[in-house]
Amino acid sequence: MPPRRRPQASAATNAEAARNAAPGRKRPSQSKPTSTSQPAQAPEQQQQDVPTEKHEPYIPYPYRHRDPFDALLEPFYYNKSLTDPINTAQDKWNLLPAFLKVKGLVKQHIDSYNYFVEVQLKKIVESSSTIRSDVDHNFYIKFTDIYLGSPRRADEPQDAGFNVESTISPQECRLRDTTYAAPIRVDFEYVRGRQRVIKRGVSIGRMPVMLRSSKCVLANKTPSEMTVLNECPLDPGGYFIVNGTEKVILVQEQLSKNRIIVETDPKKEIVQASVTSSSNERKSKSYVVFKKDKLVVKHNVLSEDIPIVILLKAMGIHTDKEMMLLVAGVDKVYQEDFAINFEDAIKLGIHTQHQALEWIGARIKINRKQMSYRRTHVQEAVEAIASVIISHIEVKNMNFRPKALYVAHMARRVLMAKNDDTLVDDRDYLGNKRLELAGQLLALLFEDLFKKFCFDIKMNIDKVLNKRNRAEQFDAWSVMSMHGNHITQGMNRAISTGNWSLKRFRMERAGVTHVLSRLSYIAALGMMTRISSQFEKTRKVSGPRALQPSQFGMLCPADTPEGEACGLVKNLALMTHITTNDEEGPVRNLIFMLGAEDIQTVGGKELYAPGCYTISINGTPTALTRRPKYFLEAFRRLRRMGRISEFVSIFINHHQRAVHIATDDGRICRPLVVVENGKSMVTAHHLEKLRDGTMQFDDFLAQGLVEYLDVNEENDSLIAIYEKDISETTTHLEIEPFTVLGAVAGLIPYPHHNQSPRNTYQCAMGKQAIGAIASNQFLRIDSILYLMVYPQKPMVKSRTIELTKYDHLPAGQNAMVAVMSYSGYDIEDALVLNKGSVDRGFGRCQVYRKYVTNLKSYSNGTKDRLDPPQYENDAPIRKHALLQSDGLAAVGEQVNAGETYINKSTPDQAHSSGITGSDLGRPVSFQPTPMTYKLPDPAHIDKVMVSATEGENQLIKVLTRQTRRPEVGDKFSSRHGQKGVVGIIADQSDMPFTDSGINPDIIMNPHGFPSRMTVGKMLELVAGKAGVLAGHHGYGTCFGGTPVEETSRILVEKGFSYGGKEYLTSGITGEALPFYVFTGPIYYQKLKHMVQDKMHSRARGPRAMLTRQPTEGRSRDGGLRLGEMERDCLIAYGTSQLLLERLMISSDRHEIDVCETCGFMGYLNWCQRCKSSRGVVKMAIPYAAKLLIQELMSMNVTARLKLEDEFPESKGR
Amino acid sequence: MSREAYQVPSLGGQNAFGDGFAGSMDGPVVAYLCGECNSRVSLKRGDQIRCKECGHRVLYKERTKRMVQFEAR
Repeated sequence: MPPRRRPQASAATNAEAARNAAPGRKRPSQSKPTSTSQPAQAPEQQQQDVPTEKHEPYIPYPYRHRDPFDALLEPFYYNKSLTDPINTAQDKWNLLPAFLKVKGLVKQHIDSYNYFVEVQLKKIVESSSTIRSDVDHNFYIKFTDIYLGSPRRADEPQDAGFNVESTISPQECRLRDTTYAAPIRVDFEYVRGRQRVIKRGVSIGRMPVMLRSSKCVLANKTPSEMTVLNECPLDPGGYFIVNGTEKVILVQEQLSKNRIIVETDPKKEIVQASVTSSSNERKSKSYVVFKKDKLVVKHNVLSEDIPIVILLKAMGIHTDKEMMLLVAGVDKVYQEDFAINFEDAIKLGIHTQHQALEWIGARIKINRKQMSYRRTHVQEAVEAIASVIISHIEVKNMNFRPKALYVAHMARRVLMAKNDDTLVDDRDYLGNKRLELAGQLLALLFEDLFKKFCFDIKMNIDKVLNKRNRAEQFDAWSVMSMHGNHITQGMNRAISTGNWSLKRFRMERAGVTHVLSRLSYIAALGMMTRISSQFEKTRKVSGPRALQPSQFGMLCPADTPEGEACGLVKNLALMTHITTNDEEGPVRNLIFMLGAEDIQTVGGKELYAPGCYTISINGTPTALTRRPKYFLEAFRRLRRMGRISEFVSIFINHHQRAVHIATDDGRICRPLVVVENGKSMVTAHHLEKLRDGTMQFDDFLAQGLVEYLDVNEENDSLIAIYEKDISETTTHLEIEPFTVLGAVAGLIPYPHHNQSPRNTYQCAMGKQAIGAIASNQFLRIDSILYLMVYPQKPMVKSRTIELTKYDHLPAGQNAMVAVMSYSGYDIEDALVLNKGSVDRGFGRCQVYRKYVTNLKSYSNGTKDRLDPPQYENDAPIRKHALLQSDGLAAVGEQVNAGETYINKSTPDQAHSSGITGSDLGRPVSFQPTPMTYKLPDPAHIDKVMVSATEGENQLIKVLTRQTRRPEVGDKFSSRHGQKGVVGIIADQSDMPFTDSGINPDIIMNPHGFPSRMTVGKMLELVAGKAGVLAGHHGYGTCFGGTPVEETSRILVEKGFSYGGKEYLTSGITGEALPFYVFTGPIYYQKLKHMVQDKMHSRARGPRAMLTRQPTEGRSRDGGLRLGEMERDCLIAYGTSQLLLERLMISSDRHEIDVCETCGFMGYLNWCQRCKSSRGVVKMAIPYAAKLLIQELMSMNVTARLKLEDEFPESKGR
Repeated sequence: MSREAYQVPSLGGQNAFGDGFAGSMDGPVVAYLCGECNSRVSLKRGDQIRCKECGHRVLYKERTKRMVQFEAR
């Protein structure tokens, strides 16, 4: 392959190099005081310096905002009077862009993928690194390392060593319908003959690469470099490209693993503690149940419930007293509750550990298929207790003590909940939930595939080694390369179908992945922050759907769909971060260093002594402290110093008298400013440093000015929202209150003035708005793409809009709105549009559609082909008018219904082998299978792309374009959940106009306001109007924004009414309207629902084959159904003839021959049953009825037609 | 006799159908533009889709030379 030319790329890198070498920078020292930030930040930092050196000749273009965030960090914004009510620690909110810069909106996905690729991958391989053969005991394959290479095409060499960097780009994968993947490479050693062979960098499969992850080619690229790769710099990344489609692995919400949850069932009078144990080997759920005054243990491997005393005895708690103390302590109430349990054991005569094990062993379900040897009950029980029941507590060296303590702990929690209802856990509490991200799901998938891969290799090797004398020396490498495809295909299949079915974990999940919605930029962004819940949707309980107070600041309160999935699908708030796993070991050491006692060394008396608090790591009681407060503070101090990962959380639960430390993954957390001694740690000079770039968000973390709190720890702190609210007891300060909302809800101006469901509606509608999708939108070929021709950034912005860069890729236009009644065409939320505005391009949009085909090659060597157009009288026939000699439509031509744009033909004998049989030697004949344009509205051919897929098949994509202007029936919406369709497009001359001669673009009916209570919309109008007059943008940030007083002041200053009302003159009569009209700019979105795509009518047309009734749906030119309820109306009204016509004559009327004598259907005036044609008469019935009768007959159910005359002769006499 | 004996279908054998067929009626040359370097690539039917300059696999058709009339509304 010749070297590829990328002129801009090389220029960019040259410039980069020169820039880096440039001396005399304004801020030569970029060193951060205690920098823990990723090195990746450094180059970006330097980028920001560039604008200060404008006159350097080697910058080929004038400076534009290189880093999308630097605009926000510039002092430019400070000079403007930002009216956000933060004054003391001025512009504390600047931490937010700084946070987003390091964490970003989709950083959770990317972090989790990076963690998977860099850490988990190696752990998975480590845990099952050696393959041994059952046949030859000297043989082994040992994987020593695993790592992901850089992304490359499937046809490029995958193994390391060929160090050619691939020039692949994500955009190429989208266009070519290939997978954006990187080789998974392993280092391994194995035995060949008598030598040990070491191989390095051998590819065992391909792993899809998450865009913008550390392995992606886009990692650490500047926006200009991304543009060279045809990639949008604003694209969030965090998704995969599999077979050309963009797939997102949604965040999955689950109940946390390895934590005890205490529940009650008041009906059955049950209190139970359950724990879902999850370790690498096993997943299982264990219960301690309080039933009929007794405590029992339940588990799947146990055929019946086991009294807890027996289990504890089996675990080596020998004396009843010890047991009693471990569970109940010295508390009389608990002791009384627990004492009854001893009776069972005594009745059953179980006094020793051996007896207990024997008893349990007899009650273990044996579901092992290949029991190589029989084990005794005791062995069985030991095995089950050690590794199945509560499997996340490891039993080392047969030391059952930790597990016994855990069981005792569960039992105590049950007893506590039994005596005090408030100690029952809340399943809906966010602290009891964990979010599973792409990385974890992929890890599960990969683990499964890798183990299967190893197993397959083992089977294969066993087979080969079993043969006595082999022709050549056995080389395991050849076997390995044979199985390479399994991992690749397994990964691809799972991601592209969304079915995670892992047998080993008994996990069967569908709908894990979704196609990334590219309706609008915000739709894509919204999809990346979406969380789907694992609860079933049918259950009527409202708990999981309700807004939990603990969601504050973590999940967006507004952004959830309506209807079925309401409250089950949630979205992350702006500042949310999801933790990845941290090592438990160092934390454990630290606990003991802080003076806590090991829990294994203490007995029940000390454990529950007053003032003693247990310390649990990830739900497992580990240590005991008598000074919980001191411990807590010391631990937090260490974390703020950076000795422990910032994502380790600690909190105290006084009810349980426990300190909980969590290091696990999937916890939801967010950063907050630390407050000590009633003072915010972040002061003005820190923010100054942040502004001039000497400090970054990570420095704030490292210096303990800001820390992450997860939901549980948040519950343990007192958080002030504003600095003025700080009191003695305050522990934290909110960075910025508007971060309670997510990215999508953040688009709404003044959302805090709206009725809350309106904000929810807008969250759903903002995703349907037509606008700019990405800066590479014209290079994309999506199956359907809506683009606005003249999108505008909203007049009234919000901080979130700036942070999500919605103003760079907007979806809507600032329409001048007059809130008044006009004609009768504006009732029920209909809008009146100004024809002049529409002519000038208001609401104009383009619709791109993709039509794709693949020229397949068949097994017999034949291939699909493209044919040149057919000619008649020296001119192409009408259908082929667009075609050029290559059989593809000419680019730019208009294509109408019925015209061919891809003139494909398929070989007739595509599936015959062509080697034997009648087809031998015959020339291949082709069947035309052209693709013709079906839509009634014409389009233009925008692009014709030809390429090759991974299988070297020719791929043809034709992109058509339609330009649409708004028409009556198109749907528009403001940003306040106020949708409406166009009711009439009025001539500009008929529209009213203001004193200054302004015609409104939209007239909106005022009845939309009172019941909806969208005050935010009114404020948007006023703020927008003030902005227009003063020449700046208004701000409608949640809990902030430009106050009305100020906007009104501006309006008055500019000579307008303070309330935004204006004097209007009628365009029709020329008279003054006898009222003032609320007029001003409101940002309007055009939604994707357009009349042109829905308009449909039919007189006659196609029918379904089976029922002979008209087809259904617009795409099949279907009929309009007269449904059951409409039928009821006709029955009630008594129009029997109309009913007959609608339901039969115009639908599936069918003439049959019925034999009056036997009641069965005959044919051709002949009854086959009676062997005569005497009683046969003709009649018409619906074909569906005939079908029913015949289907009944096929089931051996007779259905006879009894006929009688409608007008019997006898009655007439 | 040997001619009628079973022949394992191979790439060479396939030529009898696919490639050979395409080669026999080498159609007119159509120009495409490379998606990477924007150079003109002339392809015949059956040619591999690949830019001759840079090896890129995505090609676009050139815009038609025919006149296209738009309705401006």
